[in-house]
Amino acid sequence: MTDPDDTIDTLAGEYVLGTLDAAERADVAARRLHDTTLDAAIGEWEIRLAPLGLITAAVSPPAGVFQRIEQRLSDPVQAREPNGTQEATMVIVWRRRADRWRRIGITATALAASLVAWTVWREATLNAFPDRYVGVFAQDDVLPRFYLTIDLKTRELTIRPVGAKQQPGKTYQLWIASEKLGGAPQSLGLMEDSLASTTKVLSQYDPALLHSATFGVSLEPEGGSPTGRPSPGALHTKLLPIAH
Amino acid sequence: MHLTPSDLSGLVKRVGQGDREAFARLYDATSAKIYGVALAVLRRPALAEDVLQDTYVRVWNNARSFDPNRASPITWMATIARNRAIDEARKRPVLSLEAMPAGFDIKDPQPLPSDLLVAACDQQRLAACMEALGPDRQRLVALAYLEGRSREELGKQFGHPEGTIKTWLHRALKQLKVCLSS
Repeated sequence: MTDPDDTIDTLAGEYVLGTLDAAERADVAARRLHDTTLDAAIGEWEIRLAPLGLITAAVSPPAGVFQRIEQRLSDPVQAREPNGTQEATMVIVWRRRADRWRRIGITATALAASLVAWTVWREATLNAFPDRYVGVFAQDDVLPRFYLTIDLKTRELTIRPVGAKQQPGKTYQLWIASEKLGGAPQSLGLMEDSLASTTKVLSQYDPALLHSATFGVSLEPEGGSPTGRPSPGALHTKLLPIAH
Repeated sequence: MHLTPSDLSGLVKRVGQGDREAFARLYDATSAKIYGVALAVLRRPALAEDVLQDTYVRVWNNARSFDPNRASPITWMATIARNRAIDEARKRPVLSLEAMPAGFDIKDPQPLPSDLLVAACDQQRLAACMEALGPDRQRLVALAYLEGRSREELGKQFGHPEGTIKTWLHRALKQLKVCLSS
């Protein structure tokens, strides 16, 4: 059963992403004028995706365009705008140096250009903070159940559930396993509230160990695993190597 | 000449009062960005030029109601341009992947002060959350956004039916939303 708010949110997301077809776009453009939920969702998606807008390159427009704009504005008929979609908020600006394009050997296709620009931005952004990592606990490769982020410098780990159901009488427990620890999983403690984020500072482990460790989440009786080991069915993840 | 965000907001305010000279200066400062946005989606200079015109006409007509607390001027303008460009792209048959037309001057743009750009931590967060989508899905999302591609175009490009693309997009959007709110 679909949650009606869910549909509005993915509709808004696709609208901002730009993937809707003409009829759907016209529908959203009209609907958002009176549907405040949809309008707000669109605004939120524009904020979320704003950094992608940084990637678009500036290109000098042809000469004479401004004169044409002025001419249109001085003619009351032409000064009317074409039927378009309402603007909302958010960012599309990036600055890019022309020589960087040449250095990375940009080819002529527009497709390659966007992907190259994307790659350059991605690597520059991720490499700016090489100590941050992300781990995803996925179930059946569908919706992930938990997101884990860790800052190796501060050794602060945050685990956040997604769609993980609150199970009465049970609790989620976090584990770490590493050859350097002898292989058997060690408990990192319980997730106090399975519906909210939990943050732990793992100062007892050194960053190199954390970097290569496997993290696990298991569902246990309240109070944690009675055996000191994860119960069957635990999800695990390694940290995504987003630093190069 | 460096224009600060408040310089640009000041120009927009004056445009709202009917100041043609401010309008010309605003155009000079921002048109390359706006044209770039239109071109990324349309990849056809004539169409991109139309969108460029439409955008500034709309800016002139709506400058009075621009609220600098909601967005920076260039973001406001770029969103107008991108929406117009995608609307135009949808009216036309799917464009085959063609070469960037010759003679484009990818300008080394006027440097903008860093507070006009998206905060570094927001960039980092999105980059990390995109990473978590995996290589295929992040490319799907990136291409969709940067080039305003429809599901149909993405389907052709990735070699999958539209229905599959839609499912992937919805999953990716849901994942991003959760990841970004953590």
